[in-house]
Amino acid sequence: MAALVRAGFLSAKNTVLSTTVRCLSTTKPLRLKEIKEQREGTTLVVEAVTAASPRSELLVRAEKIKDLVPIVTEASAKPCYMCALGLDVKHTDVLILSQFVRTDGCMLPRRITGLCRRQQKKIGKMVSMAQKAGLMINLTPAACKKDPTRRREHKKFNTYFDENTIFMKKIPKPVDRFKR
Amino acid sequence: MSAAKRVQQWATFARTWHVFDCKWQDPYESANIIKKYLMGLHKPIYHPLNDCGDVVVCINSRNIALRGDDWRQRAYFHHTGYPGGASWTLAWELHNKDPTLIIKKAVYRAMKGNLQRRHTMERLFIYPGEHIPAEVQQNVSNQIRQIRRVPERLDHIPEEEVKNFPKVMDYPENYILK
Repeated sequence: MAALVRAGFLSAKNTVLSTTVRCLSTTKPLRLKEIKEQREGTTLVVEAVTAASPRSELLVRAEKIKDLVPIVTEASAKPCYMCALGLDVKHTDVLILSQFVRTDGCMLPRRITGLCRRQQKKIGKMVSMAQKAGLMINLTPAACKKDPTRRREHKKFNTYFDENTIFMKKIPKPVDRFKR
Repeated sequence: MSAAKRVQQWATFARTWHVFDCKWQDPYESANIIKKYLMGLHKPIYHPLNDCGDVVVCINSRNIALRGDDWRQRAYFHHTGYPGGASWTLAWELHNKDPTLIIKKAVYRAMKGNLQRRHTMERLFIYPGEHIPAEVQQNVSNQIRQIRRVPERLDHIPEEEVKNFPKVMDYPENYILK
């Protein structure tokens, strides 16, 4: 019964909030689809035009780079664009990481970023590392304590992270290297 | 001894003053570097019985960076000597009390515990901010290279540079920017 109700609710939601409806908008530069109004005599023609992405000119893809050595993978699996580029991204590379987040600093989902599972996980973790280190404080919710020095207790001091810990099952406790 | 040899002798055994900027540096990693300069291990004439150690001036010790959860997980032990006198202070609490202590303890622990250690520590000056007293600053003639690069904050990068930086991710066709 509950499943039936949920299915009905989802289908109703999909009809109400379908993407075709939401793609229409009045603010022009913010959306990839924009509305154009034309007046021909007494008739008003309103049409939605797909706008070009502002990023397409600056886009870096592995296919376009001639000198790049392609990474070796299994023949069946095609590497995603991030794997193909083979960049060594650190959590301090905020100019790259800020492309994968919303204006409130949240990581975008995989259906929008188009990454493979491993890269999505890796970049998502690095985004949270950069946020914890206070490196992307202009991409935060409005009510957030933006300045790291205004945070409480241990959060107000500078922190850096080790990218090798991202795929560790269990992060080992820090060893005391000076202990004798 | 000729005059040239005498000057060479002075130059060899003169103390050099180094400055080290602790901004965004891990104190436990930088302690291993600072230790070498303090003890004179970087010199070819090093011997434990000759007094060839240099002076190191650490600045910006308030802005050191610890790795991961270390601010909360690392504890510093102290015992007053009386029963029940043990106390454990977390790294962030210690840094609140005195922003120079973490780097001082890290350098102290990086060195071998012998009679020379306390005298070598006398040659380490630590300042929480950028300001150094003038009588110290006039001696400084060398800077020790930082281990980690100081990360740049996104809001400090000019907007034009952020806009024109090469992009990796592109939005799907029917994506609504918010």
